[in-house]
Amino acid sequence: MRKYKFEAPQSFEELFEIMHRANFEKDEIKFVAGGTDFVPRLNFELNMIPSEQKQPLQIMYLGCLGIDSIIEKDGIISIGACCKLNDIMKNPVICEKLPVLVETISQMAGLTIRNTGTIGGNIMNASPANDSIPTFIVLDANFILKSEKKERTVKASEFFTGPGKTVAKPDEVLTRIEINLKKGHASFKKLGRRQAETLSVVNAAAYVEQENSVCKTVRVAVGSVGPTVIRCERVEVALRGKKLTEDVIKTASLKVLNEINPIDDLRASAWYRNKTAPVMVSRAIKAAAGIRGE
Amino acid sequence: MSEILNLYVNGTKMQAIAKPESTLLEVLRDELHLVSPKCGCNHGDCGACTVILDGKAVKSCTVLALTAEGKKVVTVEGLSNGSELHPVQQAFIKYGAPQCGYCTPGMVMATVAFLLDNPTPKEEEIKDALSGNLCRCGGYKEYVKAVSAVVSGEFGRLPEGSEINA
Repeated sequence: MRKYKFEAPQSFEELFEIMHRANFEKDEIKFVAGGTDFVPRLNFELNMIPSEQKQPLQIMYLGCLGIDSIIEKDGIISIGACCKLNDIMKNPVICEKLPVLVETISQMAGLTIRNTGTIGGNIMNASPANDSIPTFIVLDANFILKSEKKERTVKASEFFTGPGKTVAKPDEVLTRIEINLKKGHASFKKLGRRQAETLSVVNAAAYVEQENSVCKTVRVAVGSVGPTVIRCERVEVALRGKKLTEDVIKTASLKVLNEINPIDDLRASAWYRNKTAPVMVSRAIKAAAGIRGE
Repeated sequence: MSEILNLYVNGTKMQAIAKPESTLLEVLRDELHLVSPKCGCNHGDCGACTVILDGKAVKSCTVLALTAEGKKVVTVEGLSNGSELHPVQQAFIKYGAPQCGYCTPGMVMATVAFLLDNPTPKEEEIKDALSGNLCRCGGYKEYVKAVSAVVSGEFGRLPEGSEINA
């Protein structure tokens, strides 16, 4: 049997002390916040995979570090990485200032999973089908990583490098997400096989700032159609400086096909994803631009 | 290496031995012999293992047991008040909601926690709240009917959170 160890540090000092003691050569360390993705994988590993050869796994539970508050200061909303998804959805500051995050999280998993799952865990999973990442990318959010020696900030759009991979180093912990409140509007749209408890076939988020009915700032991101969530710069270029009519949005949305590289998997075929990605992008842009319909 | 886990289960302080990799579901069933939470998919999908943890419905197969240290857990075993069933249980029986019964404990706990939070939901909200609980007999309509009947007051006043945990 593979050996497991469990630690629940109560402070960052304690966390880094344990990290010091851990033998990186021999032990694999896994940071766990909510565990809604980790625990099922662990259950699968325990039941299905012969584990004699595997190195011990150090489970490092981050839920006692106290990084679970939501604070607004100087126009910046800071969300602790261990905030439970449902708590973010119900937070009055988020409801008032960042309704797009409520729209996004309400389409993630189901009520009971959102009671356990955390936003930091969701981000660090770095799933290509992740639902919160497109929204964080278009909101131009910053992720704050903390290691023993320093703290650094990485933009959401530069954080992910592949399926399950991020720029975070093994000794860095995601502590919070910071969003600078701006005057534009954002929207998130998801296509799944059923409404709840499902992973996205395609999802899309958009942020639009208009001036005199002309699109001034725009950011578009699309998920589940490549190795990471993808920022769609060609779509953005096609929208910038233009009046956002249905036709302009439709033409621009088609440019997403030059950015994505979907695969066939158990949820949908690449063909279907190519057909639906422009539709979801168009819906997200329209909603962010305040255009009714669909 | 196992550790001693302290929990308040159905109002009683309990201790159990938990391995680092044990789930809350395993501890409840195998150590504390509370068998109402069922192990359906063991993957966080089906909801048969739903229990109330510190007032919120969670899928106990996705919770690492040791992360629940010092927390309050309520299972179906802790719902009835003596011989009187909880209104949700009464409604499920009257409306014939359970068929094979395997998903029922999870449905009961998800419903109870949901109604603590939102005592007057619309039908759509009920469906949304129970969407994480699968019933392979396909008896979803009866569950929604039963919950709606509880909401309408047919089974009397709903116990509050503190009364359930007592």
